[in-house]
Amino acid sequence: MKLKTKLKQNREFGILGILILVSIIIALNSSAFLTVENLFDMLKGNVVLGIMSLGMLLVLLTGGIDVSVGSMVAAVTVIVGQFLMHVSGNVFLALLVGCAAGTAMGLVNGVLIAKLRIPPIVVTLGTMSIIIGLTLYWTNGTWITGLPKNFIDFGRQTIGSFYQQGDEMIGFPVQILFLVFAAILTWLILKYTLVGRGIYAMGGNRVSAERVGYNLDRITIFLYAYEGFIVGLAGVVHTSIMRQVDPNAFNGFEMQVIAAVVLGGASTLGGYGSVLGTILGVALFTVINNGLILMHIPTFWQKIVVGIVLIASIGFDVVQKRYWDSHTTKVDIEEA
Amino acid sequence: MKNNATVKFVQRFRNKEAVLFLIFIGVFAFMSILSPQTFLTMRNLQSMAYQLPEFGIFAIAMMVVIVTGGINLSITFTSALASIVGGLVLATMTTAGISPTLTILAGLGVFILIALACGMVNGFVVATIGITPMLATLGTSTLFEGVCLNITKGGAISGFPDAFLWFGNTAILGIPFPMILFIVVVVVAYYLMERSSFGLKAYMIGCNPTVTAYSGVSVKKVLYGVYLFSAVLCALAGILMSSRYNSAKESYGSSYLLQSVAAAVLGGTDINGGYGKVVGTVLAVMIIQVISSGLNIFGVNRFVINVIMGGILIMVLALNLINTGKKANA
Amino acid sequence: MMNSVKKIVLALVVLAAATGMVFGQAKKVTIVVMPKLVGIPYFNASEVGAKKAGVDLGINVIYTGPTTADAAEQVRMLEDLISKGVDAICVAPNDPAALSPVLKKAKAAGIKVLDWDTPADKSLVDLSIHQIDDKVYGQHNWDLLVKEMGDTGDYAVITGGLSAANLNGWIDAGLAYAKVKYPKLHLVTDKVPSDEKQQVAYQKALDLIKAYPNLKGIIGVSTPSPLGAAQAVQEKGLKAKIAVVGTALPTDSRPYLEDGSLRVATLWDPGKLGYLTVVLANDLLKGKKPVDGQDVANVGKIGVWADGKTVIMGPPSDFTKDNAKNFAF
Repeated sequence: MKLKTKLKQNREFGILGILILVSIIIALNSSAFLTVENLFDMLKGNVVLGIMSLGMLLVLLTGGIDVSVGSMVAAVTVIVGQFLMHVSGNVFLALLVGCAAGTAMGLVNGVLIAKLRIPPIVVTLGTMSIIIGLTLYWTNGTWITGLPKNFIDFGRQTIGSFYQQGDEMIGFPVQILFLVFAAILTWLILKYTLVGRGIYAMGGNRVSAERVGYNLDRITIFLYAYEGFIVGLAGVVHTSIMRQVDPNAFNGFEMQVIAAVVLGGASTLGGYGSVLGTILGVALFTVINNGLILMHIPTFWQKIVVGIVLIASIGFDVVQKRYWDSHTTKVDIEEA
Repeated sequence: MKNNATVKFVQRFRNKEAVLFLIFIGVFAFMSILSPQTFLTMRNLQSMAYQLPEFGIFAIAMMVVIVTGGINLSITFTSALASIVGGLVLATMTTAGISPTLTILAGLGVFILIALACGMVNGFVVATIGITPMLATLGTSTLFEGVCLNITKGGAISGFPDAFLWFGNTAILGIPFPMILFIVVVVVAYYLMERSSFGLKAYMIGCNPTVTAYSGVSVKKVLYGVYLFSAVLCALAGILMSSRYNSAKESYGSSYLLQSVAAAVLGGTDINGGYGKVVGTVLAVMIIQVISSGLNIFGVNRFVINVIMGGILIMVLALNLINTGKKANA
Repeated sequence: MMNSVKKIVLALVVLAAATGMVFGQAKKVTIVVMPKLVGIPYFNASEVGAKKAGVDLGINVIYTGPTTADAAEQVRMLEDLISKGVDAICVAPNDPAALSPVLKKAKAAGIKVLDWDTPADKSLVDLSIHQIDDKVYGQHNWDLLVKEMGDTGDYAVITGGLSAANLNGWIDAGLAYAKVKYPKLHLVTDKVPSDEKQQVAYQKALDLIKAYPNLKGIIGVSTPSPLGAAQAVQEKGLKAKIAVVGTALPTDSRPYLEDGSLRVATLWDPGKLGYLTVVLANDLLKGKKPVDGQDVANVGKIGVWADGKTVIMGPPSDFTKDNAKNFAF
């Protein structure tokens, strides 16, 4: 009974189980999967997705959505790139500029949504078009290469050295710190601040949240601005990994971010979702994509496998929850 | 009191479409005045009439799903899969020397059948399993894309009978056939969604699925119906595209996906479900077409066109909401 | 209601002011050059060339294309341009078959039709301008790989997209060639797509390196692919073991060429290709056809096949760490 209740209450359990199952299947088929090296590669390759998912989590929690994140992060990378090339190569200043630019764009989304009362998907579809249009009009898609050396060196830093490979020492990529920072910050906001409580309340029921005294406009503006801030962070992290700026690098990225958060158990209707679930969602996404080549799945079968695994895992999760729900209800009645 | 509220309700929604109509007249007049020799010509009007239907059909396919509170991210790959398998049948039967009439009939049948199968898959994952539509259709869209690529290995399917090109490239009494098909689709969609009990149930699900289920409606059946209808529309768009482009490939029309969402919401469809009018969506599609073709003819930078489109989307919705907001206050 | 009408009118006036600036060109020869998509470095470089030819020849060059590599979008834009009325259309098709009906319409409207970068349906075009023969270019890439990794061992191919017709053409030509000429080369898996993104190519390369421990070479086809592969090889400290070659622009690939993770890149000058396209389209409008060995100003000697239609610009340039800085594209 205790386990059942726990399973019912913690939606993260389902996704964790699936993550473990998928990992076992891949590990049985590829010796390269369960290695420190592969773990670091997966972390580094998906840290940007992870960071951005945390911002998206807050937005989805209130029943909103932000499809402009792909264009926002593209704009941030261009702004940061220009800043690094023409103003200063200082890493800290670049972070500041990136986050400021992201926050400013997020604020515009938030204000439009809160004050004009236009549905979030419409506002962000519109700003997506505008931001990416302006970015590409400005840059014409030209890459920025040859970033300052100290910025590149920063991106290549590692924490600790775990093993030697070729002529390089492989360690914990520095970019992970930003993911940890974003995760802790988001968790703190949700758990310990009034805004965090307001976000859950708003996603649960707007009207009662308002009656209880939450200022929904202010919360909305805050969370889109926060999403922008997170995107700014992600933009700088991405640039530090790729060491160049390609304004087209994030075409279609917004769907991946939304999918990862939803995969992690967040509801698109608002009210449910957690930092842990989101991280697990990103991890599942990462592991599935990583497994494709490691398991030697032929190129022309890969999309089919991804589609089926995606549907199967989330379907399994849904069905299992429904089973536990009906089961526990029955037990309760019998007991009564 | 209750009656009064109903009247207001009706008026408000009439206004939404009226505003769209005014905007359409406005942009059309604007383009015509700026460039009467190129925009307001028979040739351009006809070319727009060839372009609009495939996009318009996709937009309606998207709208009917949004009305139920869902979203269908698999429309373009449903269409592509139907076109690729249908195209294979067309090409194979042509090479085998079977009569064009029989070939085309069989081919069209396969287009529709494959799309229906895709619609069943969507219905199954959304209605039977109960996965959030956004994630469910993202999954099926990846799956359909994978199947497309697996069949074509990245190439295009071509070699259709010449008669097949008729669908996308012929005008009857000056009206392009795609336009005629589009008008039929609009009328059917209107009656199905806004005049039948099936449509009413679909809107009810969009408002509140639980209440709808308790009022004796089989939510599952209606959802299956909506995804199947959406899929058939995708097949029709696929037939037009295959015929217009004389080939079938998985990437055709991929840019229509987000545009369809934009057209549906610009047309007044409530993204959370429960409200949306076929005529609104059609007007939105016409507005987007006129702006896109017009600015294109004037040689405006494509990225600036993107910016303008985004601005218009936000502006129109803001206008709508300011309008309705004022009425509520009055 | 009145209020909203006013707002709409106001908005339209603003829009008119914004777009009004682009009108008012005098009536002169207008040539459309349409790339597969706009806003990527390769097609930006060809835009510069095409525009320069327009200035040199005193004609009007419109360089425009879709923002995504979608054939449907390209067809719509071409239809709009036919309505506008232009003298010649030079197009790089996203898919050759898809464009045939609209190119027929263009011809019926009396517009000269050319293809460039990627061939369209041969029976429809007046001229077909190739940077290079596809077959020769595919083989060249494989030759470069063998020069760097030797003719024995495992290698992989990372491509831009699975359905890009010209990339597939090069890869198929290269694979067929390798089968006969380098039988000891072993392709570990089908071509892997990078969605034209360096980030994706980087991740796929990392996975390939782990999945196939004996990998000795990677060919990156499409400009971001070799760079992503080079980055992966460099970070893993495997520069000496795995040879990366491929198609890339010299400016973007310079850092990787210099640190040795990218052994050699090969491409033609897209600017020259744009320039040549406009020059030949303009000649065609004057009734002049290109001839084999013709020396085109700012481009060089071109080759013309016996069909009188197919023009070859010339061999590609190979970029190494020594010469990459001499190129400006």
